[in-house]
Amino acid sequence: MEKITYIGEHLWIGTLGNAFVFLSLIAALVSTVAYYFYSKEELTSEWKKFARISFSVHSFAVIGIAGTLFYMLFNHMYEYSYVWQHSNNSMPMQYIMSCFWEGQEGSFLLWTFWNVVLGNILRRTMDSKWEAPTMAIFSLVQVFLASMLLGITLGDFTLGTNPFILLRENPEFANLPFVQNPEYLAKLDGRGLNPLLMNYWMTIHPPTLFLGFASTLPPFTFALAGLWKRDFTGWQKPALTWTFFSIMILGTGILMGGAWAYEALSFGGFWAWDPVENSSLVPWIVIVGAGHVMIINKNKGGSLFMTHLLAIASFLLVLYSTFLTRSGILGNSSVHAFTDLGMQGQLVIYVITFIFLCVALLIHDKLIRVSYIMCSIVILTVSIFYGHKKELLLCWLGASTVITIFSYIKFFPKEEEEESLYSREFWMFVGSLVLMLSALVITYFTSIPVLNKLFNLNKAPIKIAEYNIWQVPFAIVILLLVAVTQFFKYKKTDPKLFFKQFRVSLILAIVFGLTCTIPLYLYKDYSAASALNKWNLISYALLFISGLFAVFANAEYAIRVLKGKIRHAGSSIAHIGFALVLIGALISTSKKQTISQNTSKKSVEGLGEGFNAQKSLLLTKGDTLPLGKYMVTYKGKERVGIDVFFHMDYFERNEKGDLRRNEKGEAVRAFELSPMVQDNPRMGKASNPDTKHFFNNDIYTHITYADLSDDSPKNKNAYKEPTNFIGHMGDTIFSGNAIILIDSITTNLTEEQFSKSDSLLVVTAVLKATDVNGKVYRATPKYVVRNNMVMPDQFEVNELGLKFIFWKINPNEGSIEIQMSEKVNNAKEFVVLEAYMFPYINALWLGCIVMVIGTFIAILERRRVNKISHSVKS
Amino acid sequence: MKKLHIVGIIVIAVAIGVIFTSLQSNASYSDFSEASKNPDTEYHVVGKLNKTIPVQYDPKVNADECSFLMTDNKGVEKRVVLHKSVPQDMEKSEQIVLIGKMQGQEFHANDILMKCPSKYNNGKPQV
Repeated sequence: MEKITYIGEHLWIGTLGNAFVFLSLIAALVSTVAYYFYSKEELTSEWKKFARISFSVHSFAVIGIAGTLFYMLFNHMYEYSYVWQHSNNSMPMQYIMSCFWEGQEGSFLLWTFWNVVLGNILRRTMDSKWEAPTMAIFSLVQVFLASMLLGITLGDFTLGTNPFILLRENPEFANLPFVQNPEYLAKLDGRGLNPLLMNYWMTIHPPTLFLGFASTLPPFTFALAGLWKRDFTGWQKPALTWTFFSIMILGTGILMGGAWAYEALSFGGFWAWDPVENSSLVPWIVIVGAGHVMIINKNKGGSLFMTHLLAIASFLLVLYSTFLTRSGILGNSSVHAFTDLGMQGQLVIYVITFIFLCVALLIHDKLIRVSYIMCSIVILTVSIFYGHKKELLLCWLGASTVITIFSYIKFFPKEEEEESLYSREFWMFVGSLVLMLSALVITYFTSIPVLNKLFNLNKAPIKIAEYNIWQVPFAIVILLLVAVTQFFKYKKTDPKLFFKQFRVSLILAIVFGLTCTIPLYLYKDYSAASALNKWNLISYALLFISGLFAVFANAEYAIRVLKGKIRHAGSSIAHIGFALVLIGALISTSKKQTISQNTSKKSVEGLGEGFNAQKSLLLTKGDTLPLGKYMVTYKGKERVGIDVFFHMDYFERNEKGDLRRNEKGEAVRAFELSPMVQDNPRMGKASNPDTKHFFNNDIYTHITYADLSDDSPKNKNAYKEPTNFIGHMGDTIFSGNAIILIDSITTNLTEEQFSKSDSLLVVTAVLKATDVNGKVYRATPKYVVRNNMVMPDQFEVNELGLKFIFWKINPNEGSIEIQMSEKVNNAKEFVVLEAYMFPYINALWLGCIVMVIGTFIAILERRRVNKISHSVKS
Repeated sequence: MKKLHIVGIIVIAVAIGVIFTSLQSNASYSDFSEASKNPDTEYHVVGKLNKTIPVQYDPKVNADECSFLMTDNKGVEKRVVLHKSVPQDMEKSEQIVLIGKMQGQEFHANDILMKCPSKYNNGKPQV
């Protein structure tokens, strides 16, 4: 085939990008090896220098990849597949960042980039003793991440996806005609960013979340370095700040995702227990546990195995979450997992490699370690060449678990004395265990698609309600621990003194909690509820009371014990924030009210549980219908680009439930909402809710069904083609704006009189037309027979724009035939909407902010104390 | 560390409890014929929308009811009544998962999940 010379391509930049990709991979590899040798012979500075330089080269290369990709996006170089797929000419500049991380390659790059930033800070701030082992592991992680950008296919195994592949070399588009056109670039415009993602959330949420993912790496490397160097405590002090940094950033990232979902997506809530959400929540829960056991260790010693386990697990769970969301294994069970790019094999290998590394480092016996490594290699080889991958994977995981337990018993130092029941460390440890348990339960349920694949099962994912049932008890225990644990002292506390300290908070919480929960959950709902719902209601009440207890007790501790010194109160503030998050989540979810109601009055409750949610409200333009505390009017739609806004007015209601009117007789408008449906040419229709925020509740409205086409103003008063209805007395006819009942049929003559053929027969059909507001109109079309001639008589209902002609009687069937014509503008515009009221959801957002501030204060204080102790030492 | 042993036992007990209850629950992917055998049990049925017959939805009659034909993975076609407003872009779906139960000859669903693989990826370079 003749070689085509393409015009206008910038091939050099792709080459540059790929050079950076290879450089970053090789430099990371070299850095791993160099740090490994440096850790072996700590005195030889050559390895140290070499290792540092190669990590710097790796950092430079990663920044180079990111810079190249940015340059390509800024300059609209559509010859590159990634640029074409994620941007276009009309893209506003502020979204270029969003294009950068919209795709898989870009988001991997973002993760790698944050790792590089954190890695450099880590290397410069830490004690030189830990540099070699931690950075060796750090570099190894970077090797794996860098390989995600390679884009090499070996047989059916894909190693990474390359962001610098040319559009015409993308196998997806290989056979399209543009490939044959040497001037294709001149007229090419990119596909553009998914318009759903063109909002500020997409600019801030991914960087925060990926910084959160990256921040789990330093604690992980420290913990592994501790195992490697058999120094189980030394790493914990430097790792503690990192752990709390991770708690803060990852927590922020997750809650930002919740806020995004609540504000801009239409599943009606801030948390749906979607696998993608879960898989970022689980590492957070685990790292919160890790942070707390590390505090025990710092203050009192002990809990060594738990600190290692949790610090390691949180990063492994980030890897596992990467596998879940990017391998395509979630398939049907998630709304927002990435599409499968054929990297399942590679991702599995990543997760396995790091589990392997952890277990191998845990074994302190050379013989066992070598046999474990050999066994793993044999299993890997067998699975590659002989198949049975699933069975062998399960065997290997089982063996690794057994060895982990064995190593814990055999090699881990254990405390001699038993912890007192009245000690802070005991209850903090229990708290961390509960967190771990909650994380395990979520992971197990989220992994159902994986378990299906491993064990050839066919289980469907569990529902949101089931997640809640499982997690509420954990939350209650955690909140109680959050409330009381700080009143314990390390080692030993006087029980009498202990209970005395939080008496006031406890009484307050119980009194205030019961006054709220009895009317909220127990008084009205309880007796009518099913056994399961009874359990739910009680657990909600308990959760509410323990949440209040946690808030009060922490406030009391901060004021009374810490004497209100903000600097020391970081943990109390963070705990108050955490409790507020849970209280806000509890009230806004359990007391979420569907305020839109189906008006069809058709009950489906007979179908059983799950079938009672009749919540779609049909709202015709100009109509005013009740919606919770309000009356709502649909005013009309407005198209702005691809966004179609539906303007709604919300009016206040008076005591009788009617529109409240002011002195002038005008209805009092409370507020206006404009939910939107995006008529997205690429992605189809996407509904975007609009929410009115009040101090104590939110009114949330979203459109589920609407006609997005423009109205045609012409011939509004003409009648459309008539339609014929055959009906009996008592039947109904539906028009665009009314329901018409054939009420009765009367005649002026008896049968006897009619038989005298010359008389005039008038049969009248009495129709009762009820419009959407319930107003009844009478229509009386007549069937007139004079001298055996049928003379149909038409009847117009002007208010409804309807015309009826009674033109036939079928005496044998006893039915009549009526023709109905509707005016063109009768087909009134309507929307179908769902609306909810979320009470006290602001407690959730306030809690988020308070929690982040509290954690930040705690980090600052820890850094200050560390500095002082450092300067005292030197 | 006796107390911690007790805590450990509780952990294991909860883990077993989770696995046990989740294995007991009936929520598994299935097909119409199995759903017909147990009319009062909830099933997740996977299949494809019959696109030759339009989805019926008249919000004026009931905004929470739409009806269509779906062929399950074994090739059995049934009329489905979905007790929700009609999902947007349903006719573009490649695969649907219904959650509900069989009642007579109709499958009554209270929820639907749709898979539109091209949803985030369609569009081809054109010059």
